[in-house]
Amino acid sequence: MSRPGGADRLRDEIRAAIGTVDDPEYPGLSIVDLGLLESIHIARTEVTIGLIPTFSGCPALALIAGAVREAVGRIDGVADVEVVWLRTPSWSTERLTSHARQVLAGSFSVGVQIRSEDPPCPRCGGATAPLSMFGPSRCRAVHTCSRCREPVEVLRG
Amino acid sequence: MPRSWPSMASFEAFLDDGGIVEVDDDMPERYRRAVFSFIEMHANSELMGGLTERDWIPKTPGLRHKMAVLAKTQDEIGHGHLLYMIAADMGIKTREEMLEDLFAGRGRFHNVFHYRAETWGDQVAIAFLVDAAALASQQAVFKNCSYGPYKRILKRIISEEGFHMRLGEDRMMRIAEGTERQRHMFQGALDRWFWPSLQLFGPDSKRDDELLRWHIKSERNEVLRDRWVQKFVPLLLGYGFTIPAPDLHYDKDEGRWDVGPIDWEPLKRTLRQGGPDSARRIGEAADNWQRTAWVRRALADPVSR
Repeated sequence: MSRPGGADRLRDEIRAAIGTVDDPEYPGLSIVDLGLLESIHIARTEVTIGLIPTFSGCPALALIAGAVREAVGRIDGVADVEVVWLRTPSWSTERLTSHARQVLAGSFSVGVQIRSEDPPCPRCGGATAPLSMFGPSRCRAVHTCSRCREPVEVLRG
Repeated sequence: MPRSWPSMASFEAFLDDGGIVEVDDDMPERYRRAVFSFIEMHANSELMGGLTERDWIPKTPGLRHKMAVLAKTQDEIGHGHLLYMIAADMGIKTREEMLEDLFAGRGRFHNVFHYRAETWGDQVAIAFLVDAAALASQQAVFKNCSYGPYKRILKRIISEEGFHMRLGEDRMMRIAEGTERQRHMFQGALDRWFWPSLQLFGPDSKRDDELLRWHIKSERNEVLRDRWVQKFVPLLLGYGFTIPAPDLHYDKDEGRWDVGPIDWEPLKRTLRQGGPDSARRIGEAADNWQRTAWVRRALADPVSR
């Protein structure tokens, strides 16, 4: 990495590699789009990646960390990869990219609540109302659409 | 706009063209009932499976596995929740009626939840073998499912069950590469769970003809079952375990494993709530429902926030 800009290029490569890792429960949605990537530290050939979990008891942490280590470890010029789960900042739905929101709504009928505002129905755009605080995961509530009756899972803010 | 069809033939032609039925459509009554029973059984199975999983939260070894069991419990109960919603929307039974039927022993749920998980080895066998069988059946339904609300929920369920499968594979690897005692424990579990897992697909039945014609199922039970056998038999043998099937053999001409004749009597008993653990399971689920009544009341009518 003696060329100027080499470190930046490596950083881009690392970011792209992490972008190939999908959330295990949402195939097609990368953890970068989900807002899990917080920091990349490069010390010569040693890379430390700081990730934040959507919630601390998430059972997928080991699986995600393993996939990140593998993806980044394949890059030329990287000898050692460490993945650290950070306690701060905490994750919120504001960290989702707009692409992530599109994929969640389009492929999984999952709405996203931002600052306690109820999202529209991903299917018909109608208003949704909360039915229960928890769905298949602690980070998701279940709403129903008042127009088309679709059950809508909502990622909580 | 709700749609209607003048005859069963025109409705079936619509389905053959890849048509998707929505909740407000004026669908033929026989189709409505068939889809409803199918979803009700799936919902019951998710709930009973979630309760089984929950039993293991305090007993699961190690924090990592415990977190996974906790999350899996939440997944299964959440899936049941979503499925009961769309089943109730079909206007045949309310959610309360479905649950009452289940707790009174009148509901149907998968055969595997009529057995007792005795050791951690059983939990590994369930996560590895049963979850794979359940996932294969759900994928086959999703592929060609003509009922829109169910198809959309199945997509979410399948991606989460896929994750359970990976956790199951991880547990299986650990126990297979573990100590002699661990391997012995898993062999015991395999002896108990091999046949119930295989029977989860069900026998070849006439009822399937309708489900296939109406694009609820996309493959016959025996096709799915055979695919499961061809995958898991060599895998388990490869890990050095034995399969509790005296007639098991490899058919060289056909290039496939044959488990021999299947005794369907145990499966039929579970359908009559007469499985080895049916009474206790249903009783516990009913008891649980009663004990948590105050939570539902509090959520439905909060005095103050």
